[in-house]
Amino acid sequence: MPIIEVKNILKQYKIMEKNDGLLGYFKNLIKPQYKKITAVNNINFEIEEGELVGYIGENGAGKSTTIKMLTGLLTPTSGKIVVNGLVPNEKRIQNNKNIGAVFGQKTQLWWDLPVIESFRLIKKMFKIPENEYRKNLKKFTEILDLEELLDKQVKNLSLGQKMRCEIAATFLHNPKIVYLDEPTIGLDVFVKENIRKFIKEINKEKKTTVILTTHDLKDIEDVCDRIILLDKGQIIYDGDKQKFKDIYGKYILAELIVSSKNLDIANNINSNNFEIIEENENKLKIKFKHDETTIVKIMNDISKYCVIEDIHMKESELEDILKEIYKGAYRDDKNNDSTSKDAI
Amino acid sequence: MIKTMIALAKMQFKQYNIYKSNFYLFTLNRIVEVIVYIFVWQAIYYQTGDAGGFTIAEMTTYYILVITFSSFALWGINEDIAHSIRNGQINRELLNPISYFKYYFGVNLGELTFAAVIGLATFIICSFFWQLVLPTNLINFILCIFIMLLGVPITFFIQMIVGTVGFYTSSIWGMQILRKAIIQIFSGIIAPITLFPLWFQELSKWLPFKELIYTPVSIWLGNTQMNEIFFVIIKQIVWGIILYFIARIFFNHAVKNITINGG
Repeated sequence: MPIIEVKNILKQYKIMEKNDGLLGYFKNLIKPQYKKITAVNNINFEIEEGELVGYIGENGAGKSTTIKMLTGLLTPTSGKIVVNGLVPNEKRIQNNKNIGAVFGQKTQLWWDLPVIESFRLIKKMFKIPENEYRKNLKKFTEILDLEELLDKQVKNLSLGQKMRCEIAATFLHNPKIVYLDEPTIGLDVFVKENIRKFIKEINKEKKTTVILTTHDLKDIEDVCDRIILLDKGQIIYDGDKQKFKDIYGKYILAELIVSSKNLDIANNINSNNFEIIEENENKLKIKFKHDETTIVKIMNDISKYCVIEDIHMKESELEDILKEIYKGAYRDDKNNDSTSKDAI
Repeated sequence: MIKTMIALAKMQFKQYNIYKSNFYLFTLNRIVEVIVYIFVWQAIYYQTGDAGGFTIAEMTTYYILVITFSSFALWGINEDIAHSIRNGQINRELLNPISYFKYYFGVNLGELTFAAVIGLATFIICSFFWQLVLPTNLINFILCIFIMLLGVPITFFIQMIVGTVGFYTSSIWGMQILRKAIIQIFSGIIAPITLFPLWFQELSKWLPFKELIYTPVSIWLGNTQMNEIFFVIIKQIVWGIILYFIARIFFNHAVKNITINGG
């Protein structure tokens, strides 16, 4: 029995179309014209208890919209969402008892008061038993290193300190599901690592289901087992992280250090098998698919124009893969996908 | 549930007390208001020998009490709500395990506790400088406080309605001013209601604002009959229920319809 079920979700926004100029202003006043925008288009997924899911996509792909629908803050235009046996937008408050959420820069801590006061309020609101509260607080303080922060006013904390406290506050009531909407935005490497470690540990101990949206793919590499990739409001990949790399990561990048180059190679060489993405005096960057050609063949071709001195090769990482996907490299593969066709 | 609301009230109260100057400045502000009103009425009294049908001692007491109670009637959370709607903080608050109304009712209680503390300080300081008319018996005093407390849900629901306007406009400043002006004139802060035209007095009899300040003060001064007090209590309860439903329906409607900003 999955803890989150999402079936055929569609979310459309109505946006007022603005006409320019004074005449346009009056036109809007009398008869506003609306334009429909589809933020999320027919998505389906199921998440089991205890999964760590990375929910990724470009800005405006519909990630936050999905999270808001899962928390019940937005009502889907059509489709069905069941979280932990409840329909979130109908039974929002009941649903809130089982979930925790972090939304980017928005905070549940009280600005002028010491952090611990906000924690105590959360304890009261969620009716957390005293011993449970103490146990969690002790553990969280340890992992997230909060010792010195608890008595400070929130307004005096740095961004990283605030986010650590925010994360602790979110997990305090042992939520079954936690939605983290860009929790590591703008943080330094140490804080990010700290937070990742925390999420993994809590997940292991309490089987908390975590859905994480982020633009830092190191978060995904470190924390998540499963990736759901969203593009233009549709899911284009849903599954294992490793498999994702196997399927999409077929590009290999090679960097060649060359000398005695006397002409522009990119313009002279004629090959469908590889692509020169960067070229200057003594350096060439090449991209190719390992099932189409090999580096030896490429070197053979290139050595006609210059002397190759050194070579570095790199398999594509998640980040490179995503860059490719966002640029549209794989859109052609999906023939049944009408919206992305339009985008091209 | 009650515990959570008290916890919220405490938080809001503490938030005010972080800045000690808040307390001193607000209290000073109230005392200056008292002085202005009393001077005006003293001037009228010595010129004409009459202070709107009151003795000058009654009039002095009237204004000290009015200003003591005024923050209680005027303060509230509508600005906080509008602000939370505007910057998207409402998303967070809707994810609390208690309803938005209960959450802000708790916060509002904290706000009003602070208003009460300032009122009390104003009252004590003023009682050093002026001779006050005291209630003739304990029952009058209790009734005075009770009727004032009946106003708490009423002002809260009005605040919720005004705050919810924030969903539709980017600034509720105008609505704020309107709300304050209505309460100020109908509750008798500007002048005792008996000085206004008859049609106005008749209207204010049916509206819930008179009981925020004017009626409690007049009970304190012993100018109100028992049967009138009975009517007033029923009226406040009915208004409380009506405003609750209006606020509730309006708010739910707004939350449902408006796409929440940000993200």
